[in-house]
Amino acid sequence: MARKRRGKSRHSGKPKKKNKSRSNSGYFKERKRRGDFAEGDRKPGISEAQKESLKRLLSGIGIPEPQPFVPDEFQTDALEAIETNDVLVTAPTGSGKTWIAREEIRRLLADRKRAWYTTPLKALTNSKYAEFGEEFGSENVGILTGDRKENADAPLIVGTTEIYRNQLFDALRSGEQVNTDFVIIDEAHYLADEYRGHVWEEAIILSPPRIRLLLLSATIGNAKEFAGWIEEVRGTKVEIINRAGSRPVELRAAFLAPNTQLFPLVNDEGKYNRVINQFARKDNDQGRYRRIRR
Amino acid sequence: MPEIPPPKLIKALGDYDLLPAIIFVPSRRRCDESATEVAFDRSFSPNTEKQSARQEIYDEFVIENPEIKRHKHRKILLRAGVASHHAGHIPAWKFLIEKMMSKGLVNALFATSTVAAGVDFPARTVVISNADTRGNDGFRPLEASELQQMTGRAGRRGKDNVGFVVLAPSNFQNPPRIAKLLKAPPDPLESKFRATYSSLLNLLDAFGSFDQVREIAERSFAFRHTARQITKIEKKNERVSEKLKRRIEESGLGITIDDIIAFERLVSARNRLDEKLPLTRADLRLRWLKENVKEGRIVSKGRSGKQFLLVLNVFGNNVSTMREDGRGANIALSHIKRVYAKRYKINERSIEDAFYDIYEGRNPIVKEPKLSNRRDDTEAPAALISELIDKLIPEELSEAELEKAQQLFWENLEDAGAIQRNLVDIESLKSEIWIPFENRARVLDYFGYLDFGRQKISEEGQWLADLRIDRPLHVGEALKEGIFDQLEAKETAGLMAALAADFERDYGELHLSNKLFGALDKVEKIVAEVSNAEWDFGVEPTEEINYSAAAAAERWASGANWSDLVRETRAEEGDLVRLLSRTGEALMQIAHLKGKNSAAAKLARETSEIILREPIR
Repeated sequence: MARKRRGKSRHSGKPKKKNKSRSNSGYFKERKRRGDFAEGDRKPGISEAQKESLKRLLSGIGIPEPQPFVPDEFQTDALEAIETNDVLVTAPTGSGKTWIAREEIRRLLADRKRAWYTTPLKALTNSKYAEFGEEFGSENVGILTGDRKENADAPLIVGTTEIYRNQLFDALRSGEQVNTDFVIIDEAHYLADEYRGHVWEEAIILSPPRIRLLLLSATIGNAKEFAGWIEEVRGTKVEIINRAGSRPVELRAAFLAPNTQLFPLVNDEGKYNRVINQFARKDNDQGRYRRIRR
Repeated sequence: MPEIPPPKLIKALGDYDLLPAIIFVPSRRRCDESATEVAFDRSFSPNTEKQSARQEIYDEFVIENPEIKRHKHRKILLRAGVASHHAGHIPAWKFLIEKMMSKGLVNALFATSTVAAGVDFPARTVVISNADTRGNDGFRPLEASELQQMTGRAGRRGKDNVGFVVLAPSNFQNPPRIAKLLKAPPDPLESKFRATYSSLLNLLDAFGSFDQVREIAERSFAFRHTARQITKIEKKNERVSEKLKRRIEESGLGITIDDIIAFERLVSARNRLDEKLPLTRADLRLRWLKENVKEGRIVSKGRSGKQFLLVLNVFGNNVSTMREDGRGANIALSHIKRVYAKRYKINERSIEDAFYDIYEGRNPIVKEPKLSNRRDDTEAPAALISELIDKLIPEELSEAELEKAQQLFWENLEDAGAIQRNLVDIESLKSEIWIPFENRARVLDYFGYLDFGRQKISEEGQWLADLRIDRPLHVGEALKEGIFDQLEAKETAGLMAALAADFERDYGELHLSNKLFGALDKVEKIVAEVSNAEWDFGVEPTEEINYSAAAAAERWASGANWSDLVRETRAEEGDLVRLLSRTGEALMQIAHLKGKNSAAAKLARETSEIILREPIR
């Protein structure tokens, strides 16, 4: 498109008019100028029905009565299964997978047996080391990571999966045995990690069948297939323990409108709450949401 | 949708009793800015009781973790109970926040979604302001498992009856999509199994033959899918063969299924001969170019033929080249005018020589043969094939039977072809997992770490197998060439950091010492050499070395204190910690080496001890 050109005759040199807000624009001013922020607190009238649904959305917020700890069924199931088989536990974070590992370790240590606890992260390894040291006595726990090696002969070793895999390599090359009876693979879903996932596979494939495996994983869509694979490569039986109900604490979803009004994201039938659509961008195709940032 | 400014967002959440909350924002910068914005909002009135509780925790924590003392968000956290958290922060910062959160002293935490995986502190509410997340190149829609990872932080067991996920408005919000995603079933676990030098060396040494290493590789989760595909194809093939067999038997001509398959192979061979016959002069020339344009040769381009290029790689009909000024250029094979005979190594000096020789006329042109359409060289084999085809038809058939036999052959040609193609597919599927291992074995053979023919790892391979690091081959070659022999701890640190760092991350622009620069120059040559070999054997070449990482590590190993290092590099603390910790770990691997490498091992041990001091650990 052709642009209109102003004659240079009147103003030679730079244009006089400057964008004032630019001159001293901090980050916030800049964003205000762009209109990033909502204006004021204009709350439109709220209908009775909306009030009602908001009340339901927020009902029961607060702190539960303290309750004596009783293990969940999936936890005791897993503990029973691990006595005879490999076990794959799939449950969301915070639902008590570590409890299973801890109880089994307690049992093993009492029997004078040895265990290895692998994690994907150094920070996680360090915190497990501290946690188990308190629980089982620091003389019974050792740690092995890329830069830390303490009490390496202890009956319980906490370390990164890489180090465990390396021990398997060393054992295979020297014809010796890895000195453990039980291996817990925490965050087993790291197997799908682009760069490091192969280490998890190697660790599972190369662990001799005499070592029992307890795999703790986030919820995955193909637990059966995963367990089936482990059975095939190790020649063991793998029990899948899935935590019934997906979360330890109920989750509710809400939408906070630009005017800070709160709406449930889904209605009573579990369908998307269309009331929210009034806040959609109207400047592009019929108020639909923009998809991907260019 | 306009955004809600962070202070107002926090206030609104507080009004609904939805605090504490973790607020996911798209970038590190936005985390830091949002936390600052909330803390310095004028309408904010701090809770003095909680403030002093936070101060107490901090005072105790700082004794063991002095690096926190200068943390730029220290005041914000203490004053307002608001924090920013992402991979750019130092690990101790995370522990401090974790401590305060577990005591209910943090109201809001601004975090990037990448942090969700490693964070172990739940809150009552998580806020999601973006339906997209940053991927490897640009933004892409959030995946179900990523959303699940984030919502997994909502609701504290024993502290909350209910957890909330709140969608905050932004230009990149998409409530219907998130609503759908929340209901999506969990993603399946997918294998990312791959070949590495380390695994190959260790497995070959342990099991003693490629067959056995291959057997291990084929037990991978990835191969399970492949195996299933193979079974599927095999079943299909069985069905087709059955049908084919029945048809042949019904004919009663004494023809077997093998005859039909042989027939198909001969016919398609004859077809290929016809196809291969170049039709035009251009095709003939292309074929000649393919044979003669090689890595390290000079070619000329353009009508005048005076634009000279050095060939770096040829892939298919494309040639990647370098111009005299050092810039790269990709050209089509057919655009090449002349090819010159001499071949040069791809390194700085010989590249200069290459262009110099051309201008001095010291590099003769490869003579192009006179190209003509010669048909005769395919005629004889074609005739032979026809003869073989005739032999497939049983002798002593009546005229009618002969016709029937021919019909049988031609009618079943397609099925026989399908069987043949399926067998080829099965073969290639079977080798899919193994081929990357075999290619790496050839690279290792080239550098003398294993003997491909004897399927054995060499003495050098023995110690390389013990180096479980990301780039064993580069470090191995550096050890073999004795690059470490002339170095002291600080240069050793720099050298290893250059190899351990992410290739694209910038750790500032500190100066390298001359000695380190010299060593890195040698390493650069090794990297080029390894990459060339990898190219040749079909292995994806490794990335280049990181000079800024080298400079930062050298400075750290010469005894700089932490806050100076952070200030001078202007890198984010978390990135520096990760770099130095990885460098230290790699050095500790070298420190275990013995025999010929024991001097380097000793140096590596000393260096690792220097590097792995607080706050690196």
